[in-house]
Amino acid sequence: MDSAQPDRRSVIVKLGVAAGGAALAAQAGIVLRSFVPNVSYDAPTRLKIGLPERYADGLTFQPDARVFVARAGKRFRALSAVCTHLGCTVHAEAVLRPDANDPDLRLATQIFELSCPCHGSRYHADGTNISGPAPRPLAAYRLTLAPDDGQMVVDLGDEVEASFRLEVP
Amino acid sequence: MARRRFWSLRPASLQDAVQAVWANLLLHGFPARMLTTSLAWLPTFWLGTVSWVLFVVLLLSGLPLMVFYIPSVGDAYHSVEDIEYVVSFGWWLRAMHRLAAHLMVTSTTLHLVRVFVTGSYKNSGAGDQHREWNWVIGVAMIAATVLLSFTGYLLPWDQRAYWAVTVATGIVSSTPIAGAIVREVLIGGRAIGQATLMRFYVLHIVVLPIAVATLFGYHMWRVRKDGGLASGDGAEGEAGLVHAIPRVVGRIAVVTLATLLVVTVLAVLIPSPLEGPANTLVTPNPAKGPWYFLWLQEIVADTTLGLGPLRINGGLIGGLILPLALGVVLAGWPWIDRSPLTSAGVAFARERRVQIAVFMFVVVAVAALTVVGLLRGPSWAFFWPWQAWPLVPTRF
Repeated sequence: MDSAQPDRRSVIVKLGVAAGGAALAAQAGIVLRSFVPNVSYDAPTRLKIGLPERYADGLTFQPDARVFVARAGKRFRALSAVCTHLGCTVHAEAVLRPDANDPDLRLATQIFELSCPCHGSRYHADGTNISGPAPRPLAAYRLTLAPDDGQMVVDLGDEVEASFRLEVP
Repeated sequence: MARRRFWSLRPASLQDAVQAVWANLLLHGFPARMLTTSLAWLPTFWLGTVSWVLFVVLLLSGLPLMVFYIPSVGDAYHSVEDIEYVVSFGWWLRAMHRLAAHLMVTSTTLHLVRVFVTGSYKNSGAGDQHREWNWVIGVAMIAATVLLSFTGYLLPWDQRAYWAVTVATGIVSSTPIAGAIVREVLIGGRAIGQATLMRFYVLHIVVLPIAVATLFGYHMWRVRKDGGLASGDGAEGEAGLVHAIPRVVGRIAVVTLATLLVVTVLAVLIPSPLEGPANTLVTPNPAKGPWYFLWLQEIVADTTLGLGPLRINGGLIGGLILPLALGVVLAGWPWIDRSPLTSAGVAFARERRVQIAVFMFVVVAVAALTVVGLLRGPSWAFFWPWQAWPLVPTRF
């Protein structure tokens, strides 16, 4: 027999090893697949957050949805409070903005900035990232009015452009 | 002559010593004779044995904690509160477990530093040695130790636990393409919840302890195969050899007692922290990871980079790529190290001074970043120890 030719015994051994390996790999794949959930028990992404008149002008933290509701008259937007760096909740901090011509701070205006406690990212109140490790602005979510009771509904699964506003009548 | 047991802890002859190793389950891992230099306190500081004793303390204190702890989002926090305030000596079990875990991260890291500066991962060329693979096993054991400590950190389901896991899984999901699905497998959903707690619990009490125990057995087997400590390589003849039993058994007893003493005293002095129950809406300020991750916390905060219009999250660079690269370089160092065989097992060998300097620079940098992380106060501001932190609201 030609020694370069595999004999029957070695072919069968190789087949056996390959079959065993394939079986083990398939079992490992099955176990891994079982770890990917098929049913989500996560909280729903659409949440009612109250009537528009509940919110004052400016920023209000809405804890159930982890969003800031920004109001300017009849226009509303929902700004995520989840830092775009690694997911901590940002909080609003009052900052004095001095006027360049006013060293005594008599004309300084108080504005709000959003600050993340985990790694020090900072955002303007409109969600634009100013400093720190945040790679992009805070997300904005779609706001609608519920047809039944007129409450605002925020959809945490529906990210919208920064320019999106809900206008209430 | 009175009937003798068939092995003795005080062997009278070499034959007796061999008999003890041969006949006793606990002693069979030891050689019959060892070099006196291998039993010295320096240069090893017996850090490997210290780590092993701490691991046993963790297993023994972990068992009763498992009886009282309830791995459910609704009950976990209160069961830990019960362990702390209601169960007789529960605070003690928890303090021993927690401190032994912190000390084990410390002792294994110091063990690694010791093995590096003494070049003990190098083969001296005598016999069939593979010390480089034992170094790789050691690096894997440190990784498993850190993961054990971190998975345990989540279990109380308090504020520090919840937000540490939020940040850690945020790092995972900053990976392009695969990040989201890996995070989902890790936490069992899109939000951290019951599935996350269960997964971390099983990792903590089953998967990782078995991994450490298995690797430990392999580690010790390799030490024996490679002929004991690297510092003893090249010793020949009968000079300097003593009966391992009782000499090594006696030293191990002393190290065990000393380690237990330290953990016990610390457990009395240092209460185990428990913050408020996990609030999924409000991040505490400051929010810090466990101390052994503070250097990474500093790095992830500084490594968000811009590439043209593309911004790469610091979590990916500082949280995944950099530590993984460091780990790979560390594990592969025996193949990078081209110094002569004579520097094997020699502390601060001249031939290795450049690589030791590089290594110590990294160690000092990590330590310095850890100190900076410890000194951070609210809103990521830096405070010296003598500066008071400003009062920040904790509720909204």
